[in-house]
Amino acid sequence: MQQAVQSKSMSSDTNSKKLSDFGARYGIHLALLGLIVLSSIVSPAFLTANNVSNMLLQAAPLGIVVIGQAFVILVRGLDLSVASVMATAAVVATSFDGQPGDVVPIILVALAIGVATGLANGLLVAKRNVSPFLATLATMIVLQGIRFAYTGGAPSGNVPHFFRIIGSETVYGLPYNVIILAIIAAFFWVLLHKSVFGRQVYITGGNPSVARLVGMNADRVIIICYVISGTLAAIAGLVLSGFVGIVDNWVGRGMELDSIVAAVMGGIALSGGRGTIVGGLIGAAILVVVFNAVLLFGMPVQFQIIIKGIVIVIAAAFYVKRGA
Amino acid sequence: MTALAIRSFNFATKSRSGLLVVIALLVLLFFFGALISDRFRSVSNLLNVFEQSTGLALVSLGQTLTVLTGGIDLSVGSMISLLSVLMSGTIDGEAARVLPVCIGILVLGAAIGSLNGLTVIWLRVHPLIVTLGMGALLQGVTLLYTLGPAGSVPFEFDYVAYGRLLGLPVGAVFTIALFILVALFLRYVPFGRAIYAVGDDEIGARLMGLPRKRVLVFVYAFSGICCALTAIYLVGRFGVGNVYTGQNYTLASITPVVVGGTMLTGGRGGVIGTLFGVYLISLLNNLLNFMDISSHYQLIVQGLIIILAVSVYVEKKRAV
Repeated sequence: MQQAVQSKSMSSDTNSKKLSDFGARYGIHLALLGLIVLSSIVSPAFLTANNVSNMLLQAAPLGIVVIGQAFVILVRGLDLSVASVMATAAVVATSFDGQPGDVVPIILVALAIGVATGLANGLLVAKRNVSPFLATLATMIVLQGIRFAYTGGAPSGNVPHFFRIIGSETVYGLPYNVIILAIIAAFFWVLLHKSVFGRQVYITGGNPSVARLVGMNADRVIIICYVISGTLAAIAGLVLSGFVGIVDNWVGRGMELDSIVAAVMGGIALSGGRGTIVGGLIGAAILVVVFNAVLLFGMPVQFQIIIKGIVIVIAAAFYVKRGA
Repeated sequence: MTALAIRSFNFATKSRSGLLVVIALLVLLFFFGALISDRFRSVSNLLNVFEQSTGLALVSLGQTLTVLTGGIDLSVGSMISLLSVLMSGTIDGEAARVLPVCIGILVLGAAIGSLNGLTVIWLRVHPLIVTLGMGALLQGVTLLYTLGPAGSVPFEFDYVAYGRLLGLPVGAVFTIALFILVALFLRYVPFGRAIYAVGDDEIGARLMGLPRKRVLVFVYAFSGICCALTAIYLVGRFGVGNVYTGQNYTLASITPVVVGGTMLTGGRGGVIGTLFGVYLISLLNNLLNFMDISSHYQLIVQGLIIILAVSVYVEKKRAV
């Protein structure tokens, strides 16, 4: 009955459906393009090499986190612990002497923390049926406590030079951290869109029961997605520690929400099974451009938060209408 | 041993007496603390814990109702911050302005909350996103209004926090009365029962002709009013409103709700569980202070409590 109604309405206005399909698929690209055009018209400073390079530097850590967040949201999850993982990785980066030889141990310890957090999240969600919101909220708080206890409230120490370079320097005008983002994005694009595992992510997110019925290990898929998110958050934390140079307990603060905002804007549905990595990255780019434009337009910095709040609701509403 | 503990927990929660578990934990915690420290079990300390739990209790009350409908309110922290700076900013030390401003703050809280509810209905966006967006917006507005503490309230206004009624803290007693009223409302008034129905089975509730939209607007508006009450209490306690006063309450308000046995999936739980959840957390933090455990470890304990609570209460059967 419902199908009949749907097919009837489909045949009656194919054109408008095509149009809305187009809008749904490329709306986010057009929004970014429009935003860039608008910003460069209003402010000549926007499209200067310096400013673009700056925006890319800021976008890279967020982009890395968004990729991980995308995997988690695709399996109907949510990862609130990413900012906590980032800050912990950043604290790890300063915990050694700042000598060049410390780079490898720092990376290993940070990655281990990311993997462990992701594993804890994944196990709670998949095996104990805990809601992702609460599971990742709890690991976020625990990790924060561990970090505070370890640093005694105020971390000190130097970020090794290596991270300073990858976090804030450029080669031929292209920031190192953007190159890292590009490599990570390419790898996970292949994993998500060209591999069996990627298919399994979409099936699990689309309908976990179906995934189980066709004999997939849905729990394993979910756990791996959380591990990916934790790992990428750790990498992003290291990159960001190099960008800001000094480390406090709150490096990456707000990233959990920003990454969710970017993902939702990029068309990754919170209900799972829909969305792409490229969409998420474009969402992140829009966020960074908006933040940048607010300052270039001479608006008070508070408008960054206000606009972010309005944009996420509108973006989410845009995708809801399409699904209904 | 652990298996037995989990099984008895499961039994207790299945028999719809999750409340008893929380109360039992509270009593256990009290006796454990009383063994460790004499000062912990002193009446003045317990009254102190009782008094300080007021803010968290009020926010969590509103949060419980939104969670019962299957939603969540992540704008509470920013709303408390905004309302508290607006309040002390407009009162600005004038005793005559206290009452009208307090009423205004309550109305404003209800209005912002209603806007949350209406947006959820109009745009059909998940409450998580709507209230997250609203939270960001309100925080931005707060920082536009002021960048630090604003104005002041008359000194006597600390009565709402420290005043005593028959020897008990006024704010805390008022809070208990409010919890009981809401519990009765949820239990005996049809509209209150509709809140459970909407959260348990939204489509079913719609088919039965229950006022789903009115329920949603009501719970978010009520959450806004609870934020306003929290703001009034906090301004009374600190004598001034500050831009980050409410920040920690957003996530903190969810812990007692979950510990008290209200399911994030909606339709199950209740406010009395939340009240005991609040006392459990407040008492635990107080005890950790007496044991000289730094606030850093208190965070770890709080996270572990959430994990424990959600693991205990999980009962949703998987389809396959």
